[in-house]
Amino acid sequence: MTTLARNASIALAIARKDALAELRGKHATTSTLFFAAVVLLLFGFALGPDTRKLTEAAPGLLWLAIVFAGLLAVGRLHIVETDDGALEQLALYPIDRRAIYAGKAISGLAAMLVLGAVLLPVVAILYGIDLAGAWPALVATLLLGCTGFAAVGTFYAGVTVRMRAREVMLPLLMLPVIAPLLLAAVKATTAALAGDPFSELPAWLQLLAGYDIVMLIAGAGTYGFLLEE
Amino acid sequence: MPQTTIYVAPRLSGSPDNPLPAVSTLELARLFGRSAALAGVSLRIETGRTVALFGPNGAGKTTLLRILATAIRPSFGSASVDGLDVANDGDLVRTRIAYLSHATGLYDDLTAAENLRFAARLLAVPTAEVDPRTAAALADVGLSTVANQRVAGFSAGMRKRVALGRLLLSAHSLLLLDEPHAALDEAGMHLVDDLIRRWREAGITVLVASHAIERLEPLLDGRIRLDGGLVAAIDGDGASLNAAFNRLGGPAVVGASR
Repeated sequence: MTTLARNASIALAIARKDALAELRGKHATTSTLFFAAVVLLLFGFALGPDTRKLTEAAPGLLWLAIVFAGLLAVGRLHIVETDDGALEQLALYPIDRRAIYAGKAISGLAAMLVLGAVLLPVVAILYGIDLAGAWPALVATLLLGCTGFAAVGTFYAGVTVRMRAREVMLPLLMLPVIAPLLLAAVKATTAALAGDPFSELPAWLQLLAGYDIVMLIAGAGTYGFLLEE
Repeated sequence: MPQTTIYVAPRLSGSPDNPLPAVSTLELARLFGRSAALAGVSLRIETGRTVALFGPNGAGKTTLLRILATAIRPSFGSASVDGLDVANDGDLVRTRIAYLSHATGLYDDLTAAENLRFAARLLAVPTAEVDPRTAAALADVGLSTVANQRVAGFSAGMRKRVALGRLLLSAHSLLLLDEPHAALDEAGMHLVDDLIRRWREAGITVLVASHAIERLEPLLDGRIRLDGGLVAAIDGDGASLNAAFNRLGGPAVVGASR
């Protein structure tokens, strides 16, 4: 088995383990979905019944809900590793530590995509948005945006997992770094929903793809150092 | 009761005149803040020996084991396993060791079998052998009947047994056991003794930190007493002191002529 195939197999094993644990325990799902739904509902009430205002605000509110709930999800995926020394055990297996990063990032991406898939119809219903015709662009935006978020979130969850104030430190460290991603994701979502009259969409998607590549390489290259004391 | 195969990692060759020791440390020190958990330990343990590490709480036993397991880095000095430096060759060292720590490293939401299957995949056990080895390991530690129950409902002793089962899944040349008898009932303690005996007979080096040294006595080739982060006493076949290195007198050689 080549190194790449072995690393891919390990990453998938870690992601599968996380998925199984989450399906059983539902530690992240319940809190994140409930939290995101409350955020969207409250903003909906705050903005009032003005359809135009709601439609304009929808892309930003969608990503706000995804980011807030995503912070809970990626943090939780690392916290399960601290129970009874599991993270140390994971670091002691004879495996490439980039594969551990990849596995946790895949778990984070899966959680974010589920979140996005649930929240998108909720936004459409609450804010009166017609998604027909915008699906391919929205799916591409969600996929690229969530990948970048998972890449950065996995790294910073690794940084903060041993801290006492990890719930505070994770957003504090992560939010400045994902600012470009948020900007590009909101702009791409706006362009997708508006039918992209100025052909901005490809440029924002390219920015997201570039961001993802840089963050995945940086995360994979440095995550291993976080596992050492 | 049927017993699982003990898998042994192939030995790395040293020269005939100077075979590679299983463990070698030189002036090994580890600081936590301003306090030194290890303050300059120089040891040499020959391949295939079973050696006990004992001493009072805070003596540095767990710190020494964690450095050898590559869980933490030394602050000063060096340590090697089968000639591989733990700080610089950590990836290779991890292919040769297994470490049983105080924490079991199990996932509460997975069953005992799922925990071991996950470990087997990460330990590069061939896919076709993952299930048979998992089943055999669980049978060996007496948990076949609860293999499909989540470990969240297990007692501390049962969790320890699952962690012991993980040590049986793949090949090792050095086993680092930190208080392996802790949390176990009498049957569990017999299980640990039996496993150590089998590892010893298979030629695997075992370094075991324990307060139950009398219990281990028949299985031991050597004993190292740590106190205050230093080697306080050493005993065993072929043990010797070298004035060049050790603060007590030099790298202590344990079990060189069993």
